[in-house]
Amino acid sequence: MKFKTQKIAYWFFAAAMLLLVLQIIYGFIMGFARIGMDGLHEWIPFNTARATHTNLLVFWLLLGFMGSAYFIIPEESDRELMWPWLAWIQLISFLLVGVVALIGYHVNWWEGRKFLEIPRPLDYLVVVNVLAFLANIGSTVWYGKRYTTTSIVLYFGLLTAALLYLPGMIDFDNQTLDSFYRWWVVHLWVEGVWELIMGALLCYLLIKLTGVDRELVEKWLYIIVGLTFLSGILGTGHHYYYIGAPRYWLMVGGIFSALEPLAFLGMAIYALAMAKKGGRRHPNKTALNWTLGSAIMSFVGAGFLGFAHTLPQVNMWTHGTLVTAMHGHLAFWGAYAMIVLAMIAYCLPVMTGRKLWDNAPSGAAFWLSNIGMVGMTGALAVAGITQVNLERRMGLDFLSVQKEIEVHFIGMLLAACLFLLGILFFLWNFWRFGLPNDEAVHSDVRAAERDAPTPEPLPAS
Amino acid sequence: MLTKFQARAFFLGGTAVFTGIFLILTIDTHRQVPEQTNDSSITPQVAAGKKLWEQNNCMGCHTLFGEGAYYAPELTKVVDRRGRDWIKVFMKDPEAMFPGQRKMVKYEFTDQEIGEVIAFLEWCGKVDLNGFPAEPPLKKLMQPDTGTMASASGELPASVAATVALPPMFEQKSCTGCHRILGKGTPGVMLPNAVTGEVVPAPALDLVHQRKTREELIAWISDPQKVKPGSPMPKLTPALVSPQEVEQMVDFLLSLKAHTPTN
Repeated sequence: MKFKTQKIAYWFFAAAMLLLVLQIIYGFIMGFARIGMDGLHEWIPFNTARATHTNLLVFWLLLGFMGSAYFIIPEESDRELMWPWLAWIQLISFLLVGVVALIGYHVNWWEGRKFLEIPRPLDYLVVVNVLAFLANIGSTVWYGKRYTTTSIVLYFGLLTAALLYLPGMIDFDNQTLDSFYRWWVVHLWVEGVWELIMGALLCYLLIKLTGVDRELVEKWLYIIVGLTFLSGILGTGHHYYYIGAPRYWLMVGGIFSALEPLAFLGMAIYALAMAKKGGRRHPNKTALNWTLGSAIMSFVGAGFLGFAHTLPQVNMWTHGTLVTAMHGHLAFWGAYAMIVLAMIAYCLPVMTGRKLWDNAPSGAAFWLSNIGMVGMTGALAVAGITQVNLERRMGLDFLSVQKEIEVHFIGMLLAACLFLLGILFFLWNFWRFGLPNDEAVHSDVRAAERDAPTPEPLPAS
Repeated sequence: MLTKFQARAFFLGGTAVFTGIFLILTIDTHRQVPEQTNDSSITPQVAAGKKLWEQNNCMGCHTLFGEGAYYAPELTKVVDRRGRDWIKVFMKDPEAMFPGQRKMVKYEFTDQEIGEVIAFLEWCGKVDLNGFPAEPPLKKLMQPDTGTMASASGELPASVAATVALPPMFEQKSCTGCHRILGKGTPGVMLPNAVTGEVVPAPALDLVHQRKTREELIAWISDPQKVKPGSPMPKLTPALVSPQEVEQMVDFLLSLKAHTPTN
């Protein structure tokens, strides 16, 4: 760690981890409800659990991104964070707004639009909060001693994410237009600008962990995010097939969605190639595992499983079934959850000055959570495909089909237990690191990084 | 190989071009959506229904236009499927309609609010969704099980059914939401028994007089759970169907004996 103000990231990460645990608890509530154990229905009906589960996800990922930005931007800009006190205010107010929203969901106060359930008055507070964040980060970049591609791409990603929140706040009486702009936020976030953020974090981690030349890593970052936008912007069309929008979206969405896996494949190859070039010589193997794991799992979850149902001919049958939930779980886990966990795994030793990398709990955390998540995705896939065949192809009644697929949710719950165990290991390790401290500035962890054998000079490319 | 400058140009150029195309398509979508969605038929009642839909996060369980949470049925064509009367009865007390099944929150909607929600769903059902949801292609291949599927043998010939007037209460009290009678109602509704898990068909009622006595029918309609625990048949008395109405229904069902061909 080069600057004292980078320590603020720790508290964003810690808050994110708390919310992750809460998110998993609400996931369990829904899983049990699906096998008929809905004893909490009076207090936490399914729609409350569902809104809480997905909003907590968005919420902790945003906290993770913000924490990462507070860590990366000062270092990349080579100066202290502009206003550390503002970052504190921003963290606390962000948490307050979130908690109020979550309580609101339990008393039927929301704006029931999938993923954007936050009630309108709180939307404005989120906007103010994010403006404070962008101002803080932005002025640090602006007055920094150097501009790097990593920090510019990261800032651009965060800025456009904030801008794209606004279309979701336009009111329409027409459900089709309402949905149309809701996807501007949801799709263009997760399959657009969030990938800029993910790409920048990946790039930063690769530079730090592999020791490959920054110029090379950053050049390929542009190509990857370029491919993402090339496919992802018009790929929004796959949400417009069957909501009352013109028919040409079937073709536009179909073609560009088919290209989306290429961007993710590019990202996976990019990460693996850089790691290979660098020879994986950094001692923090755990962080490298999460980094490469994120690149691979995002290809499987977001790229491959996304493509499995974005062709309009397939989507006609899978649209509105559990197949979407199947894709959603592995996509968010691979692309966004894992990259935030990678950042945490990298930052904790640097912020605390303790070298708790490469130990049994951190390995168990990585493998258990990944195996658990793949298992959950598998269970949802079987449930989803069965639902498609029985309900949509054979025309059986909804509830009868749900009874038939209950058994797969028992499988999902078992896999979720493995996943939870993995996350608990991660948190235990997080706890063992202790608090960040000023002694860690230019500490021996940095030295360990410096002393790691430098890779062979690269051939010019 | 690409230089960093070229890589950046690829990113910025590509993003600009595809953002441009996206915006043009968005403008065109705005041009076409009013016609495709019958925008002019969005009355204040429909708009109020949409508000209620959002304020209660119906999408948190149901899907609409295929978007939602997959915990409860797709509602785009629900007014076609169930009819307004059925939905009105259902929304008053969802659990009564599906005893022992997956639960829905009992919203204390007024009659006016229920009307608004139905108006909104009715508007949704008329939007041109490019063919979604498609008719299940394999449905026609499924053979009705004549042993249990009373509807296969339990209906009067259409020529006879057409000569008898069905009292409106059978539709008003939502019987036809599951059962078929005199050619009206949804065919082939299959629902699970909450206790045994067995999926059973809602039988056609035309020939029920051949299977049940007057006393049996009255006991059954008055409290299905007492006769067969876990049955998907809801208890509609006395909140929705009064004892006198039960008697009227049973009288009518038995009167169909006179129309049943003997051979």
